[in-house]
Amino acid sequence: MTNVLLEARGVSKRFGGVVALKGIDLVQHQGETLGMIGPNGSGKTTFVNLISGHLKGNSGSIRFDGRSIEGRNPYQIAQAGLTRTYQAVRVFGELTVRENVGTALVDAPSALGQDGVRELADWLRIGHRFDARAGGLTLLEQRQVELLMRLVQRPKLIMLDEPVGGLSSVEVRVMIAILAELKSRCTIFVIEHTMKVIRELADKVVVLLAGEKLAEGPPADILADQRVIDRYLGNIDA
Amino acid sequence: MTDSSSTTSLSSDWKKIAGPLGAFTILAFAIPALLSGNRYLAFVAGITLIHIVWTSGMNLLYGYTGLMPLMFAGIAGISAYFAVDLTASGWSFWVALPVGALAASIAGTILGLPSLRLKGFYFTLCSLVIQTVITLGFVYFANLTNGDTGISQIPLPAAPGSGTISAPAFDLILAAAAVIGVVVLIAITRSALGKRLIAIREDDELAEMLGINVTRYKMTAFFIGSLFAGVGGALYAPYIGFISPRSFDVLISMNIWLMVAFGGRGTIWGPVAGAVILVPLSFLLQEYYTVKDVIYGLLIIAVIVLMPGGIASGLKRTTRATEPVAAGAAEQRGAK
Repeated sequence: MTNVLLEARGVSKRFGGVVALKGIDLVQHQGETLGMIGPNGSGKTTFVNLISGHLKGNSGSIRFDGRSIEGRNPYQIAQAGLTRTYQAVRVFGELTVRENVGTALVDAPSALGQDGVRELADWLRIGHRFDARAGGLTLLEQRQVELLMRLVQRPKLIMLDEPVGGLSSVEVRVMIAILAELKSRCTIFVIEHTMKVIRELADKVVVLLAGEKLAEGPPADILADQRVIDRYLGNIDA
Repeated sequence: MTDSSSTTSLSSDWKKIAGPLGAFTILAFAIPALLSGNRYLAFVAGITLIHIVWTSGMNLLYGYTGLMPLMFAGIAGISAYFAVDLTASGWSFWVALPVGALAASIAGTILGLPSLRLKGFYFTLCSLVIQTVITLGFVYFANLTNGDTGISQIPLPAAPGSGTISAPAFDLILAAAAVIGVVVLIAITRSALGKRLIAIREDDELAEMLGINVTRYKMTAFFIGSLFAGVGGALYAPYIGFISPRSFDVLISMNIWLMVAFGGRGTIWGPVAGAVILVPLSFLLQEYYTVKDVIYGLLIIAVIVLMPGGIASGLKRTTRATEPVAAGAAEQRGAK
């Protein structure tokens, strides 16, 4: 097996009396696309927030790329090569795409050079929009800018929180095609409600339910798992 | 590779700004010199130049970093009292000025700490309290500040030979300070630091996620912004010849903020224009002292309601008139 990139052991988080995550164990190997699914409020985004340093956990350990990262600030974790996107698209809306990308290059220790940025931008089909104000782009374009801003930093792991959320079905196809190619560039952790994304991209799926890990395995097995169907998939149109 | 590309864009950036900067430099030195026949008008020009130093610092914090520090005048006051007291105790003014400004910078950095936890309006509210405490401090430590009475008959700095330098000569020093202030601001906004500060202004959580140490750069912004406040404060005291806690109270902070907001925050020349328009205006209105504050209050409301981006972006907005439609469409789909 390849190297372990991300390893969470017994990660728990309480918000007051509410237990958001209960002892989550999770291992992601380099190059392995991990999909995380579960109903709203099951703790998926909380988990990403804990890994990326936006929240401090109550217990458990998190290791990334061979080093413990719990208690680190988000900027330190980002500089270590772990990046993320947000559920609601998030770019510097008042700045141009070029300025957005320029900001991403400022404090990234192993950022790409100009040619690399150009190549990535063309691959993401966003190169022609560099002088546009990011806030004025379509949602798909903003998602592409979001990805570009992360990828120019050459991260080791990118955590995507619902990358096709709000996109039209045509745009979903475009995004899935991009993510499929992205797999060869960067290890991906993806939260999704759209099962198509999970089915086509994920090598391994983790199911969260009410803050606990319900199941883990290859997508075909998980999507056929009776417990998962009863308690989660039965409710949504996959 | 990125370095070389950013330096080429940097030099072209400087070329773009060289014209306005050259014109500003010439005017900054020429106007006080031309007005030197009329001491009153030259004085108005000198005060305007000091305010350009202040608005540059306020612009760095409010315009570029997105923090509205209403204790700005208080920080200037700390430097002014330092410089006056040190000069009175025998120091050269030219040593007292950097020492006072540095003291203001350190004080400003410490007083900026709440900004690490508080954003937007809440930080502004907190800074208002800090300003009040500073003003009370100026009154309380009367052995250093002479309390409410203030310190009067502050001499202009000593000339190299003997006596003090002339007021017209000091005008040129103020012009140099204003030009240096603007040049430093331009340099910062064109640097990696400027990109970081703008990112913090736009979305500090996203900035942090992109690897930017938000805490460190907010503190850096406060240090540099307070340095502007301090240099202005130290120059202000001998120029006016009199300082009291009133010279550095919250109304002064509001005035400086208004010049930045009115002119156009986050632009180089907007706040300069704000100072050039509003400082002479306040002298024109001096006869109508009671109405002056009312007019200022109305101006503040007008700016917030009608021109949130100031004069500079009022001009720019027309070119962007078509964009909000697309943005609105994207948001709608995002919400779906």
